[in-house]
Amino acid sequence: MKDKYFWENFIEKVKKNFEGLDFEIVAMENNSGLTRFAQSYIHQNVAETNLNLTFKVINKDKVSIVKLNSLDESEVFKNIKRAIELSKIIPKLDYHYSLLKSQDYKIKGEFSEETANFTPLNRAQQIIRLVKRVNQKGYEASGALETGVETVMVANSEGLFAFDRETKVDFNSVITKDNSTAYHSFINSNVNHLDIERISDELLDTALRNVDQVEIEPGVYTVVLSPEAVAEILSEADYAGFDGKLIMEGKSFISGKQGKKLFPESITISDDPFEKLTMPIPFDFVGCPRKKIDLIKDGVIVNGVFDHITAIKYNMECTGNTLPPESASMGALSFNIVMKQGEDQLEDMISNTKKGVYINRFHYVNVLNPMNIELTGMTRDGTFLIENGKLTKAIKNMRFNTSVIDLLKGVDMISRERHTKSGFVGPVVAPYLRTNNFTFSSKTSF
Amino acid sequence: MRKILKNILDYLDSKVDYADIRFVETNRENIEVENGILSTYNISKDRGTGIRVLVNGAWGFASSNDLKKEALLKTAAKAVKIAIASGMVKKEDIKLAPEEKHIACYTTPIIKDPFKISSTEKLELLIKATNLMLKDKVKKSEGSLDFYKTHKLFLSTEGSEIEQTLFESGGGIAAYAIGEGDFQKRSYPSSFGGDYATSGYEFIEKMRLLENAERIAGEANELLVAPLCPEGVMDIVLGGSQLALQVHESCGHPVELDRVLGKELSYAGGSFLTLDKLNHFTYGSPLVTITADATLPGGLGTFGYDDEGVPASKSFLVNKGKFTGYLTSREDAFKLGLPSNGAARAESWNRIPLVRMTNINLLPGNLELDEIFSDIKQGLYLDFNKSWSIDDKRLNFQFSTEIAREIKNGKLGKIYKNAVYHGITPEFWSSCDGISKEKYWHIWGVPNCGKGQPGQTMHVGHGTSPARFRNIKVGASK
Repeated sequence: MKDKYFWENFIEKVKKNFEGLDFEIVAMENNSGLTRFAQSYIHQNVAETNLNLTFKVINKDKVSIVKLNSLDESEVFKNIKRAIELSKIIPKLDYHYSLLKSQDYKIKGEFSEETANFTPLNRAQQIIRLVKRVNQKGYEASGALETGVETVMVANSEGLFAFDRETKVDFNSVITKDNSTAYHSFINSNVNHLDIERISDELLDTALRNVDQVEIEPGVYTVVLSPEAVAEILSEADYAGFDGKLIMEGKSFISGKQGKKLFPESITISDDPFEKLTMPIPFDFVGCPRKKIDLIKDGVIVNGVFDHITAIKYNMECTGNTLPPESASMGALSFNIVMKQGEDQLEDMISNTKKGVYINRFHYVNVLNPMNIELTGMTRDGTFLIENGKLTKAIKNMRFNTSVIDLLKGVDMISRERHTKSGFVGPVVAPYLRTNNFTFSSKTSF
Repeated sequence: MRKILKNILDYLDSKVDYADIRFVETNRENIEVENGILSTYNISKDRGTGIRVLVNGAWGFASSNDLKKEALLKTAAKAVKIAIASGMVKKEDIKLAPEEKHIACYTTPIIKDPFKISSTEKLELLIKATNLMLKDKVKKSEGSLDFYKTHKLFLSTEGSEIEQTLFESGGGIAAYAIGEGDFQKRSYPSSFGGDYATSGYEFIEKMRLLENAERIAGEANELLVAPLCPEGVMDIVLGGSQLALQVHESCGHPVELDRVLGKELSYAGGSFLTLDKLNHFTYGSPLVTITADATLPGGLGTFGYDDEGVPASKSFLVNKGKFTGYLTSREDAFKLGLPSNGAARAESWNRIPLVRMTNINLLPGNLELDEIFSDIKQGLYLDFNKSWSIDDKRLNFQFSTEIAREIKNGKLGKIYKNAVYHGITPEFWSSCDGISKEKYWHIWGVPNCGKGQPGQTMHVGHGTSPARFRNIKVGASK
């Protein structure tokens, strides 16, 4: 992997080729491996080494973007020239694209040598441990274990230079025996934190209870959501609601509602790279430093996150949420979604529920109506009926149609315990939630 | 490049049961315009090599953007090590369905190379179209064009050498009418980026974006003040664009044999079309015949050979309502004792081939459009997908569409917004009692089909013509 000094030298070498025009350069290099298993054997096992380079040329009010995945000098120079030529013939923007000056970064990504050097053999050994444990109980394991290292470099003609590298381990598994299933996922910067024995036990604990599923009727239920399920809901809400571009265009439920108290005081959601449980991302893809951004604070809508272009267009402040150059028209997404913990224990959330449903995982969630973030999706891999304070029966999968606004309004218990799960672009730190306003719209036969 | 790749295969030959090597170079041009102003002009070139090996019956795959011979030798050695690691957790040796050796070339037939059309012409089209849509409450308009030229070179230890050059062109426009606490979107020619084909720039010219811009802006404005779609059980007609998505989700994915065999269980899920149902299951009404056809001219899932070197082919997935076939790779087809039907596709050099859709098509029927509507007393015409969700066995689905029109006594009536319909896959297809004629049939290009870990996005096609379904549950999102 190229280090910071390589990229500093690279910028020095290529900057004269921009013919005095302003420029931004984004480089992303990754070296990763992913082992996939199904029915307790490895069926796919892959590795990738790649490096993407994006050149953005700012020619007065014209901006062009050229991307390649080669460091070959002649290719690099040819593509810079291509970007310059393109910048001469395309129309002007309706705003002045300004570059950030040199910045200070207060955090950096977490890097672990063990994770960077984790081999296919190491991954296979972890999978063997899972497979042996669940096979003993008659279950088969499916899933994926990914380990890798990624570096990101952002530089521009104003002297901004940002470099970061981080490692990642991403694991998920479903275990199955007939109709009995369970799911668990794990994401971290350090593979040493991957505890396969504990995960195996949790999978078996859920699966052994997820048998003889019964049907329940659709309707409005009190539900207890796992951190996995909460993370999915928060990611969808972020995508459909907290993008500053959507807000300014009047296409978000937040538009015009900033400062209004819509939710219970216990609801605080932020984009927070400083949170201990997250995997920090220090800057965005124009080199804007990441900071803590409150999205909902004590039940009050604060605002969304803003990318560099939207911030310029609407005279707002870039919040450090700019996406890679080729995705710039999408607006912004939160990179480190964090939901504040509550005071409750999962056991109390269940024991205080007279009749309700525990949901371990959602499947294929999609936005039905972005203006109230009405979502639809299915439950899978561990849905249980709660009766008189106890998990009594496993339930066949259900479809839900529910608004995130209604869901959050109905939250009356939040756990102290939180877990880090995968989101759309970064990790999501989520607790268990109990809400009394969750609508199941139909059921399945399995 | 071919010579270096052959050298790598020579290096691997004594170390593996089988190996293939794919060099892929993709040039892409993507233009996006909002409200008559350019928002993005991206040009990209991506290239690299993926090496897949089978060692003692287990797979390994390594890929790199470094094309130097020494780097590729390292990549090949890495693939072998990975395969050895895979072998530590195997049940049985992986075997491949037999395939002939192919020495071949294939190029998408095109009339106008989209990369030779001037930037100015493309920009003018989008700027004009997006300006035309800014009427009344349409405060935001979008237009995009997207072009790909992909050069692929496939070599295998079985002696195949296949070179392909694929051209893809696509684009579309969308109008957003924005009101107080609501917005409504209308897209053309299809939602989520428009329509795509393996074609040259002539495909864009035939779209008639300018001629349709004001019409869809008008519909977006109408939708903003339209009533919510009524709830109930009624007859519906799905327009071609929405029907393409219906075929994609409720037929295309459940016939992927890797899903059926449990290989996608932890992520995308399984399938209700289990092996015992092959040739013994009523998937839909006798009118329903669905094919997989990678040979259709212009289809976005059209190619010469798949990414395992199997020739493009046509097969029947559902024939007159009976479930008759799967989409297969060589590995999965072997388990059924069948040859592969050429559906193993990789997003690019850095991904392995997975079982993917090609062009999955609902064959046309024999009705005129007015005959489709004529005996519906009270129903809905639904088109242009807005939202989609289906369970992990592909049974319980719920889709919403951009627009719904009342059908009353066989005639189209007023517009409704936020329409949603719901069903269970075989019940839904069994309720199909009318499909319109071939002259209404179009192959819709879907450029965003996701699958696998690491994720892969595939470009697929769906031939459909509007069709009628009886007694379907409909309603509205809140």
